[in-house]
Amino acid sequence: MLKMTHLQKVYRTHLIETYALRDFSINVREGEFVAVTGPSGSGKTTFLNICGLLEEFTGGEYWLDGVDVRGLDDNARSRLRNEKIGFIFQSFNLIPDLNLFDNVDVPLRYRGFGASDRKHRIEESLSRVGLASRMKHYPSELSGGQQQRVAIARALAGSPRLLLADEPTGNLDSLMARGVMELLEEINRQGTTIVMVTHDPELAARAHRNVHVIDGQVTDFDSEPALRTSSRESGMGNRESAHTEPVSP
Amino acid sequence: MFTYYLQLGLRSLKRNPILTALMVVGIALGIAASMTTLTVMHLMGSDPIPWKSDKLHYVQLDSWSPDEPANDDGSPPDQVTYRDATALMEAAKADKQAAMFKLVLPVQPENPEVKPFQSLVRVTYTDFFGMFEPPFQYGGPWDRKQDTEHARVLVLSKDVNEKLFGGQDSVGKTVRMNGIDYSVVGVLDEWKLRSKYYDLTNGAFSDPEEMYMPFTTAVDLKQRGSGNNNCWRSPGNGWESYLESECVWMQMWVQLDSPARLAEYHSFLDNYVNEQKKLGRFQRPLNNRLLDVNQWMADQRVVSSDVQVQTGLGFAFLAVCLVNTIGLLLAKFTRKAGEVGLRRALGASRREVFKQFLIESGVIGLSGGLLGLLLTGLGLLAIRALYTEYRTVASLDWTMVLTTIVLAVASALLAGLYPTWRACRVQPAAQLKV
Amino acid sequence: MEIRPIFSALMRSKVSMILIGLQVALTLAIVCNALFIISERLDRMDRPSGMNEADTFWFGSTGFGQGFDVNGVQQSDLQLLRRLPGVAAATSVLSVPMSGGGWSTGISLQPNQRTSTASTAMYATDAQGLDTYGVKLVAGRNFKQEEVVARSINDRGVPSVIIVTRALADALFPGGDAIGKQVYLENDGPTSTIIGIVERAQTPWMGSDFIENATFSPSYMPYGTSTRFLVRAEPGRRDEVMKTIEQKMQEANPSRIIGRLRSIEQVRREAYSGDRAMAIILGVVIAALLAITALGIVGMASFWVAQRTKQIGTRRALGATKFDILRYFQTENFIITTLGLVAGGVLAYALSLWLMHAYQSPRLPWYYVPVGFLCLWMLGQLAVLGPALRASRVPPAVATRSV
Repeated sequence: MLKMTHLQKVYRTHLIETYALRDFSINVREGEFVAVTGPSGSGKTTFLNICGLLEEFTGGEYWLDGVDVRGLDDNARSRLRNEKIGFIFQSFNLIPDLNLFDNVDVPLRYRGFGASDRKHRIEESLSRVGLASRMKHYPSELSGGQQQRVAIARALAGSPRLLLADEPTGNLDSLMARGVMELLEEINRQGTTIVMVTHDPELAARAHRNVHVIDGQVTDFDSEPALRTSSRESGMGNRESAHTEPVSP
Repeated sequence: MFTYYLQLGLRSLKRNPILTALMVVGIALGIAASMTTLTVMHLMGSDPIPWKSDKLHYVQLDSWSPDEPANDDGSPPDQVTYRDATALMEAAKADKQAAMFKLVLPVQPENPEVKPFQSLVRVTYTDFFGMFEPPFQYGGPWDRKQDTEHARVLVLSKDVNEKLFGGQDSVGKTVRMNGIDYSVVGVLDEWKLRSKYYDLTNGAFSDPEEMYMPFTTAVDLKQRGSGNNNCWRSPGNGWESYLESECVWMQMWVQLDSPARLAEYHSFLDNYVNEQKKLGRFQRPLNNRLLDVNQWMADQRVVSSDVQVQTGLGFAFLAVCLVNTIGLLLAKFTRKAGEVGLRRALGASRREVFKQFLIESGVIGLSGGLLGLLLTGLGLLAIRALYTEYRTVASLDWTMVLTTIVLAVASALLAGLYPTWRACRVQPAAQLKV
Repeated sequence: MEIRPIFSALMRSKVSMILIGLQVALTLAIVCNALFIISERLDRMDRPSGMNEADTFWFGSTGFGQGFDVNGVQQSDLQLLRRLPGVAAATSVLSVPMSGGGWSTGISLQPNQRTSTASTAMYATDAQGLDTYGVKLVAGRNFKQEEVVARSINDRGVPSVIIVTRALADALFPGGDAIGKQVYLENDGPTSTIIGIVERAQTPWMGSDFIENATFSPSYMPYGTSTRFLVRAEPGRRDEVMKTIEQKMQEANPSRIIGRLRSIEQVRREAYSGDRAMAIILGVVIAALLAITALGIVGMASFWVAQRTKQIGTRRALGATKFDILRYFQTENFIITTLGLVAGGVLAYALSLWLMHAYQSPRLPWYYVPVGFLCLWMLGQLAVLGPALRASRVPPAVATRSV
C-alpha cells in the first residue's frame, strides 16, 4: 500500500542543512493500522506530509498504492491525494463558512463526481459518523468530537484506500477521543488502511503496529503485524517513549 | 493614554506599510477630489459682499416684446434700456444707485515706451464706489456734480496705474483715450473680486475692469458698449434712436438699506412702469424684479451645472474611497484580533480598545488629510490650467484648508467606526488558545 | 467549481462582500454616467463649424485719435492684406463661428410678423467673404462686389441680398426652394432676397439653440473705430503669415491698436475649453475611481487569502490543484462583482434619471451599463489575480501545521 525506502528530506537554508528525515524506510500493507510515534521535532509531521504528498522529498523512493510518486507534478500529486488519501487533522480543519454537507462535499467536487453521486456519498459518510441529521449545521455549532467526526466523514466520502490521521484526538477530551478512536478502528476493520501520527502511547497501543521516529529515523520498525503485542512490551519501545513524553499508566 | 495609543497606532501603521499606504492614498484621493471641486463651487457661489449683499438689489424691468417673454421662464430681461436707466438715475429714489455698462477704449499713453492698448472701462455713476466698496490707493471717486457735468475724469485700477504711471500717485494726471484727455481722480488698490457679480450678463469670470468713467461722459462718445446688447425691436438708425430704443444693454443696481425701503422702491418701480405704459411702452404685464446679490447670482447660475456635477462626482468618489477604507481597516483590525484578545485579557476595557483603534483610524485620516491637502493644491492648479477664467475661485483659503483636514479625519473616523466596533467585540482570551 | 458553495460561504461574511459590492456598484454608476457625459462633450467638440479652420485666423484693429477714417483704413487694410505673400484670401468681418461674440436677429417671412420664423446669426462680409471663411456654396451664387454696402454698427440698414446656411434655408422654406425668396430681417423693413445657400456655418455661440442658422450680409460694418479681419493663408503658411501681419499693419497706419491674432483653431479651443476641461476632469475621476476600486479588491482579496491560508492548505490537502484554488478566488470575485454590478446598474439608471431631471441631460443610452459590466468584470478578475495566484501557491503542508 505504502512503501518508503531510504527516504530523505533535507531542509536547506544558505547556512545550514537540516535533515528532517534520513534513511527513512517503512512498508505499510493494505488493511494495516499503523501508529507513528515519536517526540516533538522527531520528523513525524514531515513523514506525514510526505506520506500524504503534501511535501516533496529529497532522496529515496516512495511508492503509494503501486504508484512511484517521485517526479510527479503538482497536479498529479493533487489528483493522487484526492483519489487515494483521506486526511484527518489534529485541529479538524473544517471550513468554518461551510455547513457539514458542503464541508464533506469539498474533496468530492475536486474529484469531479456528479451531483447525485456526491449527495449520496455525503449522506452515507455523514450517517457513518452519526451526524446525518445535522447536515445543515455549521462547524461552530458542533462539539470538538463531532467536528472531528465530520472531518472523518469528509476523509471517507471519497472512499480512499489510505487514511492519514495527524493526532486525531489531540484537541479532544478523553471521552470524545475514545469515540473517535473507536470510529477509526471500525473504519479500519472495514478495510481502509490507516496511518496515524500520535504522541499518545495509549492511542498508539491500539494500532496494529507502532513505528517510532527519532531524529528523522525509524528506530523501532515492527515489520510484522504479528509482533504487535510484543512491540508493546518491548523494552526498547518503552525506553524510547520515556525519553520524550511521560507515559500514562 | 492618548499618546500611548498614538504610538501604538503609528507602530501598527508602520508594520503594514502597503496596506497603510493604500488607505492613506485612498482617503487622500477622495479628499482631494471632493475638496478641489468643493472649493471651486464654494468660492464661485459664496457671497462676494456678505456685509451688505441683502441691501444691494439688481433692477429688472419687463420692457420686452408684447409677443414673447424675454426668457423662456417668463422672467424679465437681464438688463435695462438707456431710457429707463437714466430715468431711474434721475428719480434717485434709492439710497444709492448706479446704472452701468461695459466699454472698450483705446488708450494712448504719454510714455512712448508703453504701446497704445485697448482698455476695459466700466461706465457708471459715483455711487458705484459707495455700493460695491472697492478699496482706494490714491484719491477717491468722482463726485455727484461731476456725474451731472459730464466730467472727463477717471478712476484707474491698480494694474493700469502701474502700467501708465509706474504705480505712483497719479491723481491729477491725464490719460488720453481716443484723442480725448481725462484726468485721474482716484486709483484703486488691489480689488480682489471672486466674480464680477455686478455684471453677470457679461461673464461672472471675465477680465476685471481697468478704468471707471462717469456715465454721462461716456455716452457723449456715442460709442456702443462692448457688452451684451439685446433688442426685441430694431433700434433704427443713428445714435439718438439707439438711445431711445427698446434695446437693453445696461445694468442697474440700487442700494436699499431696509426692507421698508425695498418695498417702497418696488412700488416706485411699479408706478414708473405704469406711467410708461401710458406712453405705449411696457406692454407686458407688470413684472419687475429687485433681486439681491445672492439671489441674482443664483438666478444667473454663477455656479455652472458643470461645476455642480463635478462637485457631486467628487463627493461620490469620496464615498467610494471611504467604503474602500472601511474594507481595508476591517481587514487590518480583524487580523489584529489576537492582539485585542490579549489586551482584553490583560485588563483593557472595551472602551480602551475602542479608543486605541479609533485613534489609529484618526492617524490614517490625518495623514490622508495632509496628503489630500497637497493633492487639492495640485487639483486646483489643474483647474486653473483647464479653466483659465477660474483663477479667482480656484485657490485655497484657510477655511478650506481646515475643512479639508477635518473632513479627512472625520471620514477616516467614520470609516473606522464599524471595523473598530467589530474589533471590540473580540472576547478576552478567545484568541489566546491555539 | 460551482457557484453555490462559494456563494453560501460568502453569505457567512456579508460585510466584506457588501463593502466590495457597494464599491463596485458606485463605481459602475459613476463611470457609466461620467463616460456618457464625456462622450457627449466629445461629440459637441467634434461638430464642424463649416469654416476652413486650419488655415484661417482673425484679428481686430482699433483706430484712435480724432478724425480716424475707419472706412478708408478698412479698405486700404484689405488691399494690403490681400497683397501679402502667403495670404490666399482676406475679408472684413463682424464675427466668426465659435468666437462667442456677434450679432443675431430674427428672420421672418411676412412683414410685422408677431414672432419671427427663425433666429439667425448675422455675418457681415464682402464678396471675398465666403472664400475667406471657407464655407461651401451649395446653391445660388456668391455676392458681387457692387452689392457690398458700407454701413456701421449704429446704422446697420437691411441688405437687399443675403446668403444663408442650408439649415436656415430649410427652416424658412422646408420645400427646398429658398433661392430667390424674400425674407424680412426687420419687422417693417425692406425685404432681403436669398441669393445663395452655403452648406454650413455655425453661429458664434456654442450653446445657442439655432447653432446652424447663419446669414451672410454683404456689408462693411465697423464697430466704432474697430474693424475685424479674417485671413485665410495658403495651406501650411498660416503661422508664418500671422507672425508678420501685426508689424505690416502697424507700418501702414500707426494710429491704431492691433488686437490679439487668433487662429480659428485657437478660437475653437477656447470655445470648447469648458467641455474639454469637463471631459478631462471626468476622465481623471474615472481613472482614479477604477484604480481605487481595483486596489480595494486587491487589498480585500489579499486579506482574505491571508485569513484563509489554513483553509487553502486544507483544500490542497483534500485534493485541490493550484488551478482549483486560483479558480476559487476568481469565482468568488466574480460573484461579488456581479452582485455589485446588478445594484450598480440600477444605480446608474437612477443617477441618469436624476441628471435628466436636475440638469436636463439626455438619457443614458442602455448599452453603457452592459459595457460597464464587462469592463468591471475584467477589472475585478485582473485585480484579484495577484492575490489568487498567491493563494494557489500556499503549500498543502500548511494543513498539518498547528495554528
